Amino acid sequence: MSETAKIVLAVAQLLTVASALLVTFHPNILYASVALLFTFLGVTVMFLFAGADFIAGVQVIVYIGGVTILVLFAIMLTSWLYQIKLRDTRKRMAIPFLLVGIGLVPFFYKAAEELANRVLSSPPANFEAFAGSPKTNLIGEALLNNYLLPFEGVTVLLLGALVGAVWIARPR
Amino acid sequence: MGNSALFAHSMQTWIGAGPIWVWAALSAFLIIYLVALPFGGFATYVERKVAADFQDRVGPNRVGPYGILQFLADAVKMITKEDFIPDGADKFLYNLAPLLVVMGACSAFAALPLSKYLMGADLNIGVLYILAVTTLVAPGILLGSWSSNNKWSLLGGLRGAAQIVSYEIPVALSILPVVLISGTLQVGTIVEQQGWAWSGATTGQYHFWNLFHNPFCFCAAFLLFIAGLAETNRIPFDLPEAESELVSGFNTEFSGMRFGLYALGEFAEVFVMCAVLTALYLGGWHIPFLNLDQMWIKFPEAIIILVQLAMFSIKTLLLVFVVMWLRWTLPRLRVDQLMGMCWKGLVPLSLINLFGTAVWMWVFNGRSLAQLLFGSGHG
Repeated sequence: MSETAKIVLAVAQLLTVASALLVTFHPNILYASVALLFTFLGVTVMFLFAGADFIAGVQVIVYIGGVTILVLFAIMLTSWLYQIKLRDTRKRMAIPFLLVGIGLVPFFYKAAEELANRVLSSPPANFEAFAGSPKTNLIGEALLNNYLLPFEGVTVLLLGALVGAVWIARPR
Repeated sequence: MGNSALFAHSMQTWIGAGPIWVWAALSAFLIIYLVALPFGGFATYVERKVAADFQDRVGPNRVGPYGILQFLADAVKMITKEDFIPDGADKFLYNLAPLLVVMGACSAFAALPLSKYLMGADLNIGVLYILAVTTLVAPGILLGSWSSNNKWSLLGGLRGAAQIVSYEIPVALSILPVVLISGTLQVGTIVEQQGWAWSGATTGQYHFWNLFHNPFCFCAAFLLFIAGLAETNRIPFDLPEAESELVSGFNTEFSGMRFGLYALGEFAEVFVMCAVLTALYLGGWHIPFLNLDQMWIKFPEAIIILVQLAMFSIKTLLLVFVVMWLRWTLPRLRVDQLMGMCWKGLVPLSLINLFGTAVWMWVFNGRSLAQLLFGSGHG
């Protein structure tokens, strides 16, 4: 990876983490959802660096074009929602929060170790060539061969969601 | 990523050494200042002239010959106008919103195939990339409308977001038949396949314009145009602006250059929409019934670039003219009519087109109408 690419990746990671923190801690829900937009953008760049360009495109269309818009839409339609301050001032939550945080450390450590062992120590041969090659058809074939059942299950689920939405919005 | 940064690479090799990011940044500036900005400016002039023609008026005729420099005067006016921020506006979002619109519309220029050798980046996921970056326009409109603290704006913004999210689906479904035919998302390859070969071994590679590939594609191209009009908020789908109901809709409170950015974003989006339709269905840079690569003499690269650029621009600008023409022909739809048309009209029709194209590909073994008629024995 060239120096420029490393800088771009670092900026994207910083953007992701910083905006994710904003999403969590900003008292105004509207700003939190705008920050969410930048989190998704940062994640998109990281997908690109992982060689998953198709997923990156889908990430932008679904999460920025769909999810963020719907969140903003819902916030703006409920007029009082962006006037309240979201801040948890309950001090008694601090200790459980800390305990859970400490409890999660081994899991994160294990996950990072695993990642380092699998990816960093032995990067896949010819990663640059793999990252540049078209993978969309591979994804399509995988979905319709090996993973046909889960794929069809998801489509039925989505159809159910659509029908449900129509049923809820039916004229009464 | 593949032969991405194609343009930056060729600039690097033509002009000399230097780090690639310098050339990448330079080509981004070139795209914005040599393509997007002049087109946006000139389009405002043409739009006025076209409007004047349709209404039997003269139109702008004071600045320069035929008023052709009007857009420069407009630009100076917009830049020198007072930068006004309404009371109670959310300053940060108010500043951010027009930038998101321009960013979304101008980033798409990077993947437009202006010519075989003149292309920002021929990405593996080119079509998906264009679809993806143009979705940034919707949050721009929504946030701009909310942050200006004006109920007309907010109504316009909400309409805009609902409209863009809904019409994204027929747009994507009308692009899919082309992906099905070409077997790739790479815009360069998709355009290249739409060439023409009279006879010989290469007949199988070229299947002429996707518009004429099969009857379903013919319908899909029109659906893409209609849904694209709605995506770019143009009349008859300009409900977010709707000046007779909502003052000026989402951009009511924006003045000076901020309004200019919104207008520029809209025109850039119209150009992108027409360019995508040209590239996917109308053969992109190809001259009908002629193949520059298979002529009896070999043309130098520069001439091919110029001819292809001219071809691509002619097709795209003709479509832009049709967009302007429709503006003075059709009345605006109502909100419920708009949504009904999308979900009950365009979505089922584009699904039928997708299915029909798939069946055609299966029955005729992937050969186009032109190949079936003229290319027997090949392919």
